[in-house]
Amino acid sequence: MNKTPAPKVAHDRSIPLVWIVPIIAALICAWLGYREFHDLGPEISINFADASGVEAGKTTLEYKGVAVGTVRSVELRKGLVGIAIKLRLKKEATELANGGSKFWIVHPEIGLSGVHGLETLVSGVRLNVSPGNGPTTKEFEGLDKTPAPDVTDEGRTFILQSDKLGSLTTGSPVFYRELKVGAVEASRLSSDSTLVQVRIHIDAPYADLVRTSTHFWNAGGFNFKINLFGAQLKETSLESLVTGGVAFATPDSVPLAAAAGPDTVFTLASEADKDWLKWSPKIPIKSVDSIVQKSNSPSILPSLIK
Amino acid sequence: MSTSNFKIQLKGNSAAGALGLSAAIMLIPANLLPVLETDTAGNDRTDTIYSGTVQLWHHGLGAIAAIVFAASIVIPILKLIGLAYLLFNTRNGPAKNPVRLTKVYAALNVIGRWSMLDVFLAAFLTGLVRFGALATVQARSGIVAFASAVILTILATEAFDPKILWQRQPEPALP
Repeated sequence: MNKTPAPKVAHDRSIPLVWIVPIIAALICAWLGYREFHDLGPEISINFADASGVEAGKTTLEYKGVAVGTVRSVELRKGLVGIAIKLRLKKEATELANGGSKFWIVHPEIGLSGVHGLETLVSGVRLNVSPGNGPTTKEFEGLDKTPAPDVTDEGRTFILQSDKLGSLTTGSPVFYRELKVGAVEASRLSSDSTLVQVRIHIDAPYADLVRTSTHFWNAGGFNFKINLFGAQLKETSLESLVTGGVAFATPDSVPLAAAAGPDTVFTLASEADKDWLKWSPKIPIKSVDSIVQKSNSPSILPSLIK
Repeated sequence: MSTSNFKIQLKGNSAAGALGLSAAIMLIPANLLPVLETDTAGNDRTDTIYSGTVQLWHHGLGAIAAIVFAASIVIPILKLIGLAYLLFNTRNGPAKNPVRLTKVYAALNVIGRWSMLDVFLAAFLTGLVRFGALATVQARSGIVAFASAVILTILATEAFDPKILWQRQPEPALP
């Protein structure tokens, strides 16, 4: 007699296998999120008095010519005091969010000592940065103009005093024997407004050329003299013709006067004495190889004439 | 109707629940992450589904914006809500209001197919718009999340067994 086999009773698992799907989904979700956000650096906010040309999603922040961040939003600050630009840095550029970093907007600029930011005519403005080394911050005050060049160069700065500025502007060259050895950093009126003070920066290898006895004169523009024996045109270089410039000479006394310390104040003569041009003291300077190293200074003001 | 048969269906609905939950999870990155990266003449932007819809609206393409908004944001969410409603009302066995639940179930099947619109859009744009430096469109990870959310929703509705809606209530035991 046939006996029906006993039915096999399947026991339900307490948790059906299909519930592994939401777990996988959650894992994928977490991975997607991680992948999206781990490349992002910090978001910073920069305040500008004027942000003409800056566009959200389009304007980039560049450092050494490479885009390191994109503007996320451009907002008017409360009380109409200015513009707040929020931008997202790339992860590898996180250190640019250090306190003391300087941000400025690069507009096309023709004149001064050359043509700068010409590409921004086509591409729109861009932001530029010079890194600081303070603690990380989120909010910065943007500069309203390009800061003085060679901020990372060692060199030495001096103050020149003159009764008028002439055609000197930020970036005007400083010459020694018609060789460019530095640039004008800034100019302002003295506190009693009787003089103009010009701060110049001499590049590191040439800093020792400036002695305490050095004479400076304004080498900008050109002199045109006509006398009985003909016409005489004097100018220093094409660059200084357009932008103005400063030249200096050191008297060849023996022993040589001491090297001038940083921020020594000199008088800026309106033109050179004939004697000054004849001086040719022997001054040891630092290795000229360091000129090559100068090329890693930020490309803030690449001048036409090096 | 035996209880074991009922258990099998419960299991099927458990699968529907699991898949629906997965779809809900995937909808989060699908809506938060960018789905498209468009680069036209140096103007680089990434769009999420929502920001893309807003962008279409601002460009005066109101009708298309409405379609995309409905197909990509409203429908997936409505579908999951509908499914959750069905599962909730049948969690303890046969439904008490089978006619209404069946209408919901039918509606789920009708709207489901529309939600793949976005994925097709991204696939077409990515393939077609490749003008090198002038304009490129790239799909981003959000679209993958979105596609999987849509597929999981479809699977979840498939896994749901509508028979449970019409199952006879077990007779109360006679005293």
